[in-house]
Amino acid sequence: MRANATLLLIAPTVGLLVGFLVIPYLNMVVMSFRTPSTSQVFAPGYTFANYLKAIFDPDFYYLRVLRDTMALGVTTTAICLVLGYPVAYHLARTPSRFKSILYAFILSPLLVGVVVRCYGWMIILGNNDGLINNILRDLGLIQTPIQLMYNTFGVSVGLVHIFLPFMILPILGAIQSIDPALEEAAQSLGATRLKTIFRVVFPLSLPGVQAGSVLVFVLTISAYVTPILLGGFKVVIMPTLVIQQLLDAMLWPFGAALAFILSFSGAVVVYLYFMATSWFMKGIR
Amino acid sequence: MRAAAVLRKRLGRGLYLGLVGFVYAFLLLPLVIVVLASLNAGEYLTFPPEGFSLRWYVSFFNSDPFIDSLVFSLWLAFLCMIIATLLGSMVALYVVRFARKWRDQLRLFILMPLLLPEILTAIALLFFYYRIETVLGGLGLEGVGGAFHKTFLGLLIGHVLVTLPFVFLGLSASLYNFDLSLEEAARSLGADKYTTFRRITLPIVKPGIIAGALLSFIISFDLFNISLLLKATGIVTLPIQLFDYVRFEFDPTAAAVSTVSIVITVIAIVLTEKLVGLRSLRF
Repeated sequence: MRANATLLLIAPTVGLLVGFLVIPYLNMVVMSFRTPSTSQVFAPGYTFANYLKAIFDPDFYYLRVLRDTMALGVTTTAICLVLGYPVAYHLARTPSRFKSILYAFILSPLLVGVVVRCYGWMIILGNNDGLINNILRDLGLIQTPIQLMYNTFGVSVGLVHIFLPFMILPILGAIQSIDPALEEAAQSLGATRLKTIFRVVFPLSLPGVQAGSVLVFVLTISAYVTPILLGGFKVVIMPTLVIQQLLDAMLWPFGAALAFILSFSGAVVVYLYFMATSWFMKGIR
Repeated sequence: MRAAAVLRKRLGRGLYLGLVGFVYAFLLLPLVIVVLASLNAGEYLTFPPEGFSLRWYVSFFNSDPFIDSLVFSLWLAFLCMIIATLLGSMVALYVVRFARKWRDQLRLFILMPLLLPEILTAIALLFFYYRIETVLGGLGLEGVGGAFHKTFLGLLIGHVLVTLPFVFLGLSASLYNFDLSLEEAARSLGADKYTTFRRITLPIVKPGIIAGALLSFIISFDLFNISLLLKATGIVTLPIQLFDYVRFEFDPTAAAVSTVSIVITVIAIVLTEKLVGLRSLRF
């Protein structure tokens, strides 16, 4: 009786998740094997043609877009790690009175919509009348504007900005759980600060690094707004291609197949990364 | 030699603090720029700015599409917050207090919308809503079938799915830290189950609930991919309206809209900080 009554607590949510998450995903798998049609969403019958079309395109167009997407994911993750780690370390160890304000600085960009943040970068990077080009022109440093937007550079700046907090927060948590006495011990035994960080703090914070990297990578390869706004139509990556297939070309089965190819490739990269980092983390478990 | 070592140490520290400062500036720059651009009289932001003006705000408040979208987004985020908070709290209570055998699996299952890329969930729901409409429509059940495809209800369900895990995380964290002996003490002093829940349990977990609720509001208010693919006929949310605008227009009306959206977020953050402290937010 009691057990049955408590089940009422989860029944609505489990129902919601099964009905509007599990079944829709299964339906999407089925969709990717449907026969494409030009006059309706799909024709009767099932086929592998959507996957074959994506993989064996004569120019390997889709595979090249996939490669660009993965490359963008890896570089964005690497830049976020290099920029984010020192900030996480600083925030974890600072005795500053302004600690909670600094924490809010990291959180707040995360809580402002992605369109707003990309728009901010559009004002700054704008190719003709952007802030940077205006300043450089007023200073007489350039005659013709530099192209900062509608290319991979602009997209990378936007992506790093948008996903940096997702790198900082897990690393921050990992560093906070390391006993500062370990660092003091290393230094009293003669290690320099830099050596302490590389030999003591960094290895111990690897779980945070791992979590942050996977988050940033997965978010980057499924980003849509930033590549469209800061890349114009010049930077084509998988999510923009998939949405284009769905909304403009109305090729739903093919779009679904592309989405699964993207997810599968992303999962492979994440798996390899887990294997590689777990090998380094063996010592701290 | 010694002086060189000291100098190198200073230089290293300077570089480190410089990098940290640079990253903070980098994180805040676009937000500051958007606010400046919305208050700038000129079409483009130059340095120094061309003077203070509220003309872009006037243009925003005179634009029906933007105002309609703003009201629509606030209403959607509010409803989403209520539903997600209710469902998320119930589930967190069950998982922490009552679940036995399947606790970890259940936890993972509820976090699934967070672990799956939002854009995939949006695509899956788009296909699914369309499928219900055609299949049930074919059976003569157009009323039920058409309830989700391009409707407010369909959009709302998408928003609830994505925000629910945040409420769940916030509340289950505060429930795990809950000292059960407090409830036992209340019971042994004669309080009945209901009184114990209302006077002891609820006040202690309230920060977790409030933080989760405000977070779900903010996330729903800013949600993009779900809103793009599941948009209801006739009206779109503010982020979509803004997206369509800045793709083709460059006038700073968009900056005024963005600033208002930033202000709404800041209000929610300040509210969280005042009520429960920012640290109660969980990601």
